[in-house]
Formats: sequence, C-alpha cells, structure tokens
Amino acid sequence: MRPLFHCFHIFLRQISRDSMLFAVLTAPVLTACAFRFGIPYAEVLLCAYFDKVSILSGYYLLFDLFLAVMTPYMFCFASSMVMLTELDENMARYMAVTPVGKQGYIMSRLVFPGTIAFIVSVILMHFFSLTMWSAPFMTLTCFLTSLLSIAVSLLLVSFSHNRVEGMALAKLSGMIMLGLPVPFFLFSRTQYLFCILPSFWIAKLCVDGNLLLTIPAVLTSLLWILVLYGRFEKILS
Amino acid sequence: MISVKNLNFSYTRTPFIKNVGFEVKTGEIFGFLGPSGAGKSTLQKILTGLLTGFKGSVLVNGEAIGQHNNSFYENIGVDFEFPSLYEKLTAYENLKFFASLYQKHRDINTLLSKVGLLNDANKKVSDFSKGMKSRLNFIKALLHDPQVLFLDEPTSGLDPSNARVMKDLILNEKAKGKTIILTTHNMYDATELCDRVAFIVDGNIKALDTPRNLIMKRGASKIAYTYSDSGREIKMEVPLNKTSEDETFLRLIRTNCLLSIHSGEPTLNDIFVELTGRQLQ
Repeated sequence: MRPLFHCFHIFLRQISRDSMLFAVLTAPVLTACAFRFGIPYAEVLLCAYFDKVSILSGYYLLFDLFLAVMTPYMFCFASSMVMLTELDENMARYMAVTPVGKQGYIMSRLVFPGTIAFIVSVILMHFFSLTMWSAPFMTLTCFLTSLLSIAVSLLLVSFSHNRVEGMALAKLSGMIMLGLPVPFFLFSRTQYLFCILPSFWIAKLCVDGNLLLTIPAVLTSLLWILVLYGRFEKILS
Repeated sequence: MISVKNLNFSYTRTPFIKNVGFEVKTGEIFGFLGPSGAGKSTLQKILTGLLTGFKGSVLVNGEAIGQHNNSFYENIGVDFEFPSLYEKLTAYENLKFFASLYQKHRDINTLLSKVGLLNDANKKVSDFSKGMKSRLNFIKALLHDPQVLFLDEPTSGLDPSNARVMKDLILNEKAKGKTIILTTHNMYDATELCDRVAFIVDGNIKALDTPRNLIMKRGASKIAYTYSDSGREIKMEVPLNKTSEDETFLRLIRTNCLLSIHSGEPTLNDIFVELTGRQLQ
C-alpha cells in the first residue's frame, strides 16, 4: 500500500500546484452555498413577483441531487485532468511498471479521489441540502453519485488525448447528468428512454424512495465503468 | 533470468508476434535489433508485464508474466524511449518521488552526478533539454538498483559524449551482474554493448547470436588498399582469407609501396540487410 499512498500524494501535490484544479475543488462549496442560501431567497422573490405559493420548492430535491453530483463530478474532473497530464508526460504508463502497478495507479487516481469526494459530498449534503434527508439515504445517494463520477472520469481519460480535449469533453459529459431531471418532468414511460444513464436511476430512486432502484443505479454505473475501464487499460498499455 | 517460449501476441486478429522464443542469462546484455514497427517495443512491453493477453510462456526474474504481482517491479528497471517525468517537478523531486515507491534505492545525488546533472538537480524538468531529460530518465530506471533493466533506445537524441556516458553506465551495470535488455535500431550501440542480439522483423526473430558471430558468419572481411601506378591512385580490395593469393598486394608489401591499407568488416547493419532484406535505420 505504501507505493500507492505515495502515488496518491504526488497526485494531491499536482492539484495543489495547479490553480485551475484547486479552484475546481472549491466549486462544490460555492455551489452548496449558492443553492442553500440563494435558491430559497429566489423562491421568496419569485413567489412574491408571480403571486404564487410555491415555484421552486417542488424542485428542491432536484437541486439537492445536483449538489450530490457536483462534488464527486468536480473531484473526478480534477482527477481526469491530472491523469491526462500524466498520460501526456508518459507517467501513467510508467507507473504500471513500478510497484504501484496498473491497478494501483487507477486506484490512486479514481478510487481514492472518488472516496474523498463521497465523504465531502456527504458533509456538504448534510449542511447545505434544501430538503430533509435520512442519513442512510443520503449516504447511499452520495455513494451512487461518486460511482457515476468515476465513470465520467474514465470517459474523459479514455476519449481525450490531452487536457484541452479533456475540458471540451467534460462539457459534453454533462449529458450524463441529463438523467437527473427526467423523473421530475417526464412521468410517462418515455422516461425510460434515459434508462442507460445512471443519473436517471439515482434521481428515480430519490423521487420514488424505492430502494430496489439502487440495483439499476449501481448496475448502469458499473456497466459504464467496465466498458470505459477496458478502453483506458489499453491506453495504459 | 529471462525465458520466453512459443510467444504469440496480436493487437488485432492478425498475429503480430509469432512463435518467439529465447533465453537471456543473468548478467547478459541482450539486444532487440530491428526497424520501427518490427515488434521490439511490443516484446519489451510483454516482458515488463505491460501487455497481457499473449500466448506462450514468459518468465522474467523467476516470475511468470501474467501472474506476477507488483513486488515484481522492485527488481525491474524500465527506461522507455520517451521520457516519463513530472515536468513541473525538479529533477531531484522526480527522483525522490520514484525512490519513495521502492523498498530500497540508491543515493540520488550520486546518480545525478554520474550523468552530469547534479548542478541541475533543483531545476524544473520542463526547463531541461531533450538530452538532459533522457539522462534523467535513464537514472530513474537505475534508482532502485534493479536486477533486470529494460532499456529502449537509451542513447537516442544524445550527443556523442553523453551517449558515451550512458553506454559506460550500461556496461557498469552489466559488470555488477545485472541483466539488460536493450531495444535499439542503432547497430553501433548493439555491436558495442550487446553480448547477443536478436534481429526482429515482422514479429519474428530472424537471427540470434553474438554480434561477432553474426558478422563472422558472413565471412566477408576485406582488406582495402591503395597504391600509385603512373601517378594514378589505384584502389583494390581483397578478401581477408585470400591475401596470400593476391600477388599485387604481396608485391606492394614487399616493396613498401602501399599508399593506404584498411580492413573492412561487414557491420551488423549489413548482416541485418542480408538476412532480412530490410534496413535498420
């Protein structure tokens, strides 16, 4: 494990020396503050203006879900940028021929950041969520969003050749989050057109409260991870 | 130290490495010689465990590739053709980081000093020249004092004096009993450094022997000499094993009338071209 921790340490060091990535990591906190204080305030203003009882409050859960996704997404984005730099510098491949190994490298660049993102996500959700969450349900949701973000991270490093391409693809990867609002706006069977997106099942789980929906949420994330991991492993070779 | 039997590998459905087999003894420098795209780097990737999914048996340092764990790399040093270094870190920070990945490591400053980089130890790698990066990359592979070294074009892009330093370091490692796999298309490096070379073409080993044996098997060492005849310089060649039959040559020696004399041995490149019909460089 020692080489793995050293490998993770150099990863953190790279982020700390990159002002853009450092800023990316602060984005979830800023978003959490904006959601927690800005949205209820906007609700008050909008209701007063349109003379309604509620406009945004029906979608507070959706805002919470975006917050739950935001933290791991940003952490994994930073991780992807470091990995793309390392691919550029031939470091990623070199790690595979050190005691870190190929799996160790992937672990230190995806699983470790994903775990930290999960913890930070739970903390932010605990203090900044707009709706009431039970601790187990919040933990489960944050776990699923972290898993989804690992898939997004793999997507970025598997299909980009450098940081510029990675940043462009990161914008496109937002499409994967498109599943979040679906259960809030599509009520017919049409919503299942988005069933390949893990974000759809995460949102559906939170809307319906049916724990069985955890299964498709996990399976779709694992499917994405498995397919993209195969591609990324080839790049590492 | 290294044993490869019936090795087959393909990236696509078309076989790429075909039925390759060879053994490398401890303390030997073994060269893979071949043109670009011949399969040298693929072989090296298989031997270092980077590529799996091959057929056949590959043993390196007593461990079967494919079933090895990460501790296998404690005794493997790899120098890729293109530098793999953190550009934003200094040379010393890079080596310190890599040293931290291993259970044991050599003194960083001594290694930096050996390749003339001690004064640049605190300079960022992004400010290094190509040659400096190559040298740093090379000592990175030596950092943990590995038993087996895989070197891919170690002198590529280096000026003659730095290439000399690198070659001396390689020979020094050999003297310490290290096993070295050298991948190159530089016939001079291969001739000077390798105990044995394998000619790789289209994923096959076309020939495998010591550079000297490969050259001598061709049996075409020649003597080229010049002399003056009626004010004109005449150039002549005679096979080394037929000098006693060349009356002109013998007469010129007896009368001290030779203007110049050179022995001309075929190079590994000549042998390579003859055996494979392909150029090395």
